[in-house]
Amino acid sequence: MGEVDLNIAVAGIPINNPVWTASGCCNYGRELGTLYPLRELGAIVVKGTSLDPWEGNPGRRVAETPSGMLNAIGLQNPGVEHLLRVELPWLEQQGATVVVNVVGHTVAEYVAVIQRLAEAGPTSVAAIELNISCPNVREGGIEFGRDPSAAAEVTRAAARVTPWPLFVKLSPNVSDIIPFARAVAEAGADALTLINTLVGMDIDLASGRPVLGNTTGGLSGPAILPVALRMVWDVTHAVRIPVVGVGGIRSGDDAVRFLLAGAQAVQVGTAIFQDPWAPIRIRDGIEAYLRAHGHRSLRSLVDAVRHRLDG
Amino acid sequence: MDQNGLWRCEDAAVVSQQKSGPDWYRLTLRAPAIAPLVQAGQFVQVRVHPDGWIGSDPLLRRPLSVCTVHQDELTLIYRVVGRGSFILSQRQAGEGINLLGPLGRPFPLTAAEQCPLFLVGGGLGIPPLALAAKQTPGRRRTAILGARSKSYLAGAEEVAATGIPVLVITEDGSSGSTGRVTDLLAKHLGPGDQVWACGPDAMLMAVSALCDRTQASCWLSIERPMACGFGVCIGCTVARQRGGFAKTCVDGPVFRSTEVNLLG
Repeated sequence: MGEVDLNIAVAGIPINNPVWTASGCCNYGRELGTLYPLRELGAIVVKGTSLDPWEGNPGRRVAETPSGMLNAIGLQNPGVEHLLRVELPWLEQQGATVVVNVVGHTVAEYVAVIQRLAEAGPTSVAAIELNISCPNVREGGIEFGRDPSAAAEVTRAAARVTPWPLFVKLSPNVSDIIPFARAVAEAGADALTLINTLVGMDIDLASGRPVLGNTTGGLSGPAILPVALRMVWDVTHAVRIPVVGVGGIRSGDDAVRFLLAGAQAVQVGTAIFQDPWAPIRIRDGIEAYLRAHGHRSLRSLVDAVRHRLDG
Repeated sequence: MDQNGLWRCEDAAVVSQQKSGPDWYRLTLRAPAIAPLVQAGQFVQVRVHPDGWIGSDPLLRRPLSVCTVHQDELTLIYRVVGRGSFILSQRQAGEGINLLGPLGRPFPLTAAEQCPLFLVGGGLGIPPLALAAKQTPGRRRTAILGARSKSYLAGAEEVAATGIPVLVITEDGSSGSTGRVTDLLAKHLGPGDQVWACGPDAMLMAVSALCDRTQASCWLSIERPMACGFGVCIGCTVARQRGGFAKTCVDGPVFRSTEVNLLG
């Protein structure tokens, strides 16, 4: 039994395996980095990064739900200068492949973050992931994710200034995701990340009031996997640019479902909270599946799925 | 996380589990990798289902502070408040439970202060004070423990077993004097003394205000709903007095009272 080759290139980024950490679920990698080398991750998508520091939301931010959880963090982050000065040099020392998730209140802010990164030219950065889908920040994020033309506008502006491949992370909180996928693909996105969290809420029985300080939050975890899988399936059947699947993945078998739906890589988020080694386990699970199904490489599975999609 | 040193993941074996009060349990686990590392005020993230369980509900671990450590065993005292803690309460001797820890910033154990130290606990805030008493052998300590009634003094036995003086107060007078921990603390606290407190927010705010009035220094161990417990999700925040938010899991759970605003 030979080794299974997990190398693949997604939108031109070479990665050593298809399992990435999802934005907002591993901070900047320092915590996981105390447990295993970050090179073990296909890529690390860092916390959503804004031009200036954002404080995040007051009040309660997380609540557990059946097979899932709600969060309303509000994109708390120390801003792009901190990322450049403190986090990226450290990540580079670790040999990590870094995807910077970018957030903004306005098109100009998204552009400014990318321009600032481009100007500094950190070598650890492999791609930009545009977050136009955070459900917890009203005046930015989701406003661009709810209207295909706004999504296209911010994508076009980002595509003009980024020296790195541009991923756009889409919201599932729309009636039909395909027009969004098409709009951002036409506007210059190199790849798509699907999905962000689903808007939900919980109510406290004692007080009769919403549990979360923000009233609503984003639902993540195994509860949303079928929704994410369906959206990845729909989008890979509608657009040609690569798709990275994310939503409730906690095992190699879960991840393979996304690959079979046409994703070329996956992101692991909420599963990390319960098991910080989840990305490694999932990578090994994918490898075991490929071996059991006679694939010598991940590429062979991805190509077979692509062939089916094209056929 | 890096500032707090080592953390481990370990399949701990249940040594014993007993229902010890109306709604609280005492769970002792053999955890040779984690137990020797625990400093008072730190917690472990506990998976409530036994090892090998592959379901997805409840999804998250439960953060529980460590009450006592004896060689390779640690004891946790917790209250059944919902589904997760109920499932945990079903675990029996011999079963395995996965732990992550120790996590969080402990009480300031290394400070070389000579002033009197008051360990103030309310209800389910009492257990971590047992380890705090054990790990501060050189200091002049007094424990002030309170609850609504005698049967809710969770972990008071463990504090008393350390041999330090213990003053008890209950709201209904069923054990010790009648009233709240601040009533007792006010009688004994002097300027320059130090207080380490753990309990509900309302108690912590009252203790903190009393310390301010008395010019005593005060450390609070706080509780917030948590997802990861190791700093990545930024879900368990508490407002900082100087603005912005601190993470309860890695910046705390023990904070200087002047550092946080529990109402923020």
